[in-house]
Amino acid sequence: MIRIAAVGDVHVDKDVVGRYRPALEELPDRADALLIAGDLTRHGTVDEAKCFAQEFGGLGVPVVVVLGNHDHQSDQQDEVTKTIEDAGITVLEGAATVLEIRGHRLGVAGTKGFGGGFAGACASNFGEREMKDFVGTAERYAADLERALKSVECDALVALTHYAPVPETLVGEPLEIYAFLGCYQLGRSIDAAGAALALHGHAHHGSERGRTPGGVPVRNVAHPVIKQAYNVYQLLSEEVDTTLIGAR
Amino acid sequence: MTNDTDLEAEIQRLLTEHDRIAEQGITVQRRDHLVVLGGEVESAQRRDEICRQISSHFPELEITCDIGITRAQAPSEVEEIS
Repeated sequence: MIRIAAVGDVHVDKDVVGRYRPALEELPDRADALLIAGDLTRHGTVDEAKCFAQEFGGLGVPVVVVLGNHDHQSDQQDEVTKTIEDAGITVLEGAATVLEIRGHRLGVAGTKGFGGGFAGACASNFGEREMKDFVGTAERYAADLERALKSVECDALVALTHYAPVPETLVGEPLEIYAFLGCYQLGRSIDAAGAALALHGHAHHGSERGRTPGGVPVRNVAHPVIKQAYNVYQLLSEEVDTTLIGAR
Repeated sequence: MTNDTDLEAEIQRLLTEHDRIAEQGITVQRRDHLVVLGGEVESAQRRDEICRQISSHFPELEITCDIGITRAQAPSEVEEIS
């Protein structure tokens, strides 16, 4: 059994430091690792990244994150990444990591991802250079995710993105903005590689649960969706136990 | 002066692009004589700043704020993935 905690869209700045910490102090008793699905900061500044590192660092369990669109706002994503990594947190972008947990190997592959839409309402690689760049960006992120997912050997594999890989977890958002919230190519990459679970954020008004066309469970862990500090998911269960007491 | 049709878009862009707000998850709904703001943010300061900036940019608008602060308590249950 592996238990992973997950949340996204925490948007940390000075005014948020300390809000999550009481719940995070309890996390090692409830889960074996924490995955964060992007939008770690408000504007993607180094100062905000330091606030994030202060709030989510030093937990006693591994913390693995991807960046979100907010973390790119100030064009300092490289500095933001370094600041967070200096706090001992793993930042994935088209890359994977393997965590040894309870005798199991948990693989996590991640990317920010991008928009583009879903079947029946997606952008095409056609026309103006700007549109081809938009679709090409989505396809590049999806290809990087697939490569990362396929690069690891593990007992359970989790795909971690900021943008959504399926439309089901966007239900509640205006249909008109689905194309800015995710793209089908991410779901296709997850299905091509196979995964036990896909986690994403970004859709604050979306829904929690969905599945890829290939049947991989998808969870939208955006903080306004889950409405608590983090959710906990159990993988590789030997038995069903839905209480969190005595998780370790 | 922004017309009614564009007002919602103008407010949404203000909330996203203003460097003291940067919120993409706020809903803006017109009622007969007021604008209702919805969604959740991470702190009371952010909620108050949203209302302050909209009032400043659109002084003729009457605003009702239903924006909540997202709870941050620890979970009590686990979901088994199968």
